[in-house]
Amino acid sequence: MISFVIRRLVLSVVLLFIISIISFFIVTLTPGSPYPWGELNPKISPEVKANFRKKFHLDRPLHEQYGLIMRDLFSGNLRSIKDDRPVMSRILERLPATVALNLTSIVISLSFGTLLGVFAARYAGTWKDGAGSFIAFLFIALPGFWITYVVVVALVKGFGVPILGTHSYGIEFPNALASGLDTLWHLLLPATILALGGIASQSRYIRASMIESLREDYIRTARSKGLYEDVILLKHALRNSVRPIIAGIGMVLPALIGGAVVIETIFAYPGMGRLGYEAVLERDYPTLVALNFVVAALVLLGNLVSDLLSAAVDPRVRLE
Amino acid sequence: MQGTTVLSSASSAQESPAARVLRRFWSNPIAVGSFVLILFFALTAGITVLLSLTGHDWPYNPNLTNLELKLLPPSSQHWMGTDNLGRDVFSRMLHGASISLTVGLVAVAVSLGIGMVIGAIAGYFGGITDQILMRAVDALLCFPTFFLILTVVALLGPSLLNIVVVIGLVSWTGTARLVRSEFLTLRESEYVKSARVLGQGAFHIITRHILPNAAAPILVTAVLGIPDAILQEAGLSFLGFGVQPPQATWGNIIADGKTYLLDAWWLNLFPGLAIFIASLSFYLAGDALREAAESKS
Amino acid sequence: MRSIRLFLYGIPAALILLLAMAFLNASFLSVAKKNEMSVGTLGEPSTLNPIQQADSASAQVAGLMFNGLLKYNQDLDVVGDLATAWQLSQETTFQFGTGEEAAKARYLLDNKRVAGNWPITNIQTEGSNLIITLSQPGLTDSENIANTLTESGLHPLPSPPLDKGGKERSFKAEPIIHFNLRKDVRWHDGAPFTSADVAFTYHAIMDERVASPSSSDFELVSSLETPGPYSVVVRYKKPFSPALLSWMQSILPAHLLGKVEPAKWPEIYNRHPVGTGPFKFERWKTNEFIRLVKNPDYFRGSPWLDSIVFRVLPDPLTLQLAFQTKQVDFWAVEPWAVSSVEKDPRFDLFSSAGGMYNYIGWNLQRPMFQDVRLRKALAEAVNVPQMIKYIIYGRGVQSTGIFTPKMWFFNPKVRPLPYDPKAAAALLDEAGWKVGSDGIRVKNGTRLSFTLLANNGNEIRKDIATLVQDDLKKIGVEVKVEIYEWSVLLKRFVSKGEFDAIVLGWGLGNGFDQYGIWHSSQTHPEELNFIHYNNPKADHLLTDLRQEYNRAEIIRLAGDLQQTIYADQPYLFLFVPEGTSVMWKSSYRIRRPGPKSGEWIDSPVRMTKAGWDYDMEWFYRPEYAPNIPATTTIR
Repeated sequence: MISFVIRRLVLSVVLLFIISIISFFIVTLTPGSPYPWGELNPKISPEVKANFRKKFHLDRPLHEQYGLIMRDLFSGNLRSIKDDRPVMSRILERLPATVALNLTSIVISLSFGTLLGVFAARYAGTWKDGAGSFIAFLFIALPGFWITYVVVVALVKGFGVPILGTHSYGIEFPNALASGLDTLWHLLLPATILALGGIASQSRYIRASMIESLREDYIRTARSKGLYEDVILLKHALRNSVRPIIAGIGMVLPALIGGAVVIETIFAYPGMGRLGYEAVLERDYPTLVALNFVVAALVLLGNLVSDLLSAAVDPRVRLE
Repeated sequence: MQGTTVLSSASSAQESPAARVLRRFWSNPIAVGSFVLILFFALTAGITVLLSLTGHDWPYNPNLTNLELKLLPPSSQHWMGTDNLGRDVFSRMLHGASISLTVGLVAVAVSLGIGMVIGAIAGYFGGITDQILMRAVDALLCFPTFFLILTVVALLGPSLLNIVVVIGLVSWTGTARLVRSEFLTLRESEYVKSARVLGQGAFHIITRHILPNAAAPILVTAVLGIPDAILQEAGLSFLGFGVQPPQATWGNIIADGKTYLLDAWWLNLFPGLAIFIASLSFYLAGDALREAAESKS
Repeated sequence: MRSIRLFLYGIPAALILLLAMAFLNASFLSVAKKNEMSVGTLGEPSTLNPIQQADSASAQVAGLMFNGLLKYNQDLDVVGDLATAWQLSQETTFQFGTGEEAAKARYLLDNKRVAGNWPITNIQTEGSNLIITLSQPGLTDSENIANTLTESGLHPLPSPPLDKGGKERSFKAEPIIHFNLRKDVRWHDGAPFTSADVAFTYHAIMDERVASPSSSDFELVSSLETPGPYSVVVRYKKPFSPALLSWMQSILPAHLLGKVEPAKWPEIYNRHPVGTGPFKFERWKTNEFIRLVKNPDYFRGSPWLDSIVFRVLPDPLTLQLAFQTKQVDFWAVEPWAVSSVEKDPRFDLFSSAGGMYNYIGWNLQRPMFQDVRLRKALAEAVNVPQMIKYIIYGRGVQSTGIFTPKMWFFNPKVRPLPYDPKAAAALLDEAGWKVGSDGIRVKNGTRLSFTLLANNGNEIRKDIATLVQDDLKKIGVEVKVEIYEWSVLLKRFVSKGEFDAIVLGWGLGNGFDQYGIWHSSQTHPEELNFIHYNNPKADHLLTDLRQEYNRAEIIRLAGDLQQTIYADQPYLFLFVPEGTSVMWKSSYRIRRPGPKSGEWIDSPVRMTKAGWDYDMEWFYRPEYAPNIPATTTIR
């Protein structure tokens, strides 16, 4: 077990660096320059540009640049090209909002998804099941940007409610409750839209695995014992389906800090998705390398945790 | 589905697996409905392309700009209104259908091709090969797919072909995983083991014995992958990295219309609805196919 | 068992309840607004240090926190900000072979100065140098003096030419600006403002560690001295008329930054700066907002608003939505929305003539584009008036060259080329481009086909490209349109000069110096003359303009430059869009100090030459009326 973990960790670290190097080269290969000012700005003289390049090591060969960025990353000195601030601060300041959004979204998908899935499994084969599946696919097939705009326009034109950012502006809140609810509103709306796809896939998953469990022998035994259907459903079948979800918790780590660019842009929500997207457009190499590294590290870590949890939860799984 | 049916029709005694799947598929009303929709899209796309190749445009030329007719709401002359350059949206939608469907099919073909090869090798040979390939798959998942797309599009130019290839390149991991697990299971089956003992080559075994049995899940993944590709292309167009003007795709009609959203709702509703319905049809069809393939009756 | 049910049904129910409550709360939020202005900005400022910023978002925010020595007033005249007065003068130096010659020259000039009507305030000799102080800068007077000297048989030694390849002159001309500073200004932290801050700002700008985009404005400064705590003397290496405008540059505090190395500035200053302006920094929540609060000790008086918030809204649609839900107070209206907004009684609209123009740049290194007849034909084949009517809904005018109508040196006599496809076709025929079998013109085996580039994310440019493609097709020109991301466009095509034609625009300030864009020397990669325009006459006009201080002369030279370049058609000059902004009706008014002390003028927000947001420091919300009563009220 320990040897497994160690082997995996070593493999992951190696992989991490390989990924980091390759993505660095991909990013720097993309034509475009990381100047923070508009390129065709009449006020910028070539000397200013040369100074800028020197400051951010852009005049060195690529492999040196990579080495310097990695050195700075680990010594905590890595600065963003865009505004010369430490990259880690930029990432960390977006983290709380992102985590809040993603956590809420995960809670929404898990809870509604499970409910829908149980419902579908209960009435499997009947029209109710068909309706459940239909709704699930409805959610998956909705193009994210489209439905976001539809919802946003409806809310604004219909009700005139403020929806942007993390809270409403320029308003004197009468009490803490109103202010808290306001923040909650700004959080729940994008989280719900983000969660739609998750609800669908979660419900499909629960439904499938519950149907699978319901066919097992021990269920028939339970039925023949005369237990209520509800109890069978929830206590036994559901429990088995939950195991893989626990194993899947490992993958929650990267999901927590991932970002949905379109939703964040439309809702003006300050998340990691927009950070990455803007960093790409601005060719902010240090931020990109750091972000990639962190995300990749979390994915690999998440995989490891998933595998470990799987083994812990399900005796049939063997770690190689 | 509880219990097994006692009666079975006499004619199903020696049904081939394929026929059995098809039968179950057709007996599912939702499956049939979605198949009809897909056919409808394919036909409209095909007919539109044929017509325009022979020089006839119906109802209008999708690229004909007419500034005097800017941003008109739907009417009897323009069923879906006009866009900001006066082009008929309905015609653009028809042409966009052919692009979206092409993207879906070709991207899936690319991702299927790569995924199958990698999954087959990993699943069949197992051991170290499998470990390495699967770690590589993990690695790809860590990749910022957005950069890859941006880089390819920037370096090679934003043509339809490049976009489709790139989408295919970033989507093969699901297929690879699926194929691998199928192969891992099927590798242990009796006839494969005996084929091995008989000394048949790996390639032979894979193509003759394993693949046909894995066909159903692979096909399902393919069908389910089409709407993903369509949605990806729409998303790309939306962010501005899609196909060049004046080419119309559902995604870029929405993207172009985004600025006028509050006033010109038809630029958003119709293409969005089309993408939605097309994706939905493929998902439902794919799901029904999967049910048909997996169910025990 | 119970607990499973509780979780299974309870959590979704709780979530729905929360959503409903939050929604109700949001829709009934009292519209009791704080005494705060909300401004939406598309781009987030990158830094609030005025000498290190180059994007307009940063400039907008910093503009309220800092002052320069000079500023524009509402009629775009140059007035003092931190400076109470300034004098321009010039030292012209003639170098002679010997001290005696210099003395002779001095004697001569002393006698002739009245007759020559030269604005000489002082003449002295230093060794073999003759130093003349003139009360106005420029070359004309110095040249006249030089001529007088040579006519009288005195020959000063030649001086190096003022520009590369320029003509040799016999004198050195060094303009001097003397500023007198206000004595009542304090920094936001209470420290007094003095000339040391001006000196520090200049040296910081020129320090290469700071990498200031403003350094090119001050390249020609040869020295800056501070004879007293409220006086600054700047000396230039040669006449450079845009120099005065460069002193609108915001001034930085020497006492906070003077001893700190620039590498530390981002941490200790750039994100929470200290200035002298009407508003001071309060908080910056990255990617969300920047809040400024009023500076009650501002030297012109405390602003009426308690605070101003700049909200970062990256998507133009969200910006519009924020305005509709009163989350931001102003919105820069897109041209297509103007007509519907105009008639809406809920809004006040402000339109101003534009300061930018759109164009198509022809790569003059491509043989195809080297024939002016072809360029002229292409210009006449594109229906620009229709573009104005339909892309910007009539909100703008056709461009007649490198300057826009609101500039005081704009030449109204330049006639725009008409839309005349027949004439265009005839011109192409004449130039040897005959229509080929596929409908596209051919000349010596080359088809008249090229690629037009534009950047994604800009609807107007995309529309322009598509329309040009259509228009040109009608006269047998094939245009392929390619859209790329902005950075890629510049790096891969423009900087390398590897393009045929490109749709772009120039946002101009209020100055006349366009040397960087049109001079034939500015064609290196990343410089602005990327089309490689080369016209010696234009080159001369550009350098002459830079050395001319006389207003009438400037108008003449600028007019000539505009006409010359327009006739050459190195660009297809398209149009100058108007800018329109909208505000919820009467949500703000202005109470500003009048010309006489103690006078306060109350008026609605109005359009001025300098924009509708001039005097933003004096805006107030009617529900929070200022405590100083108005002496004059304009309804």
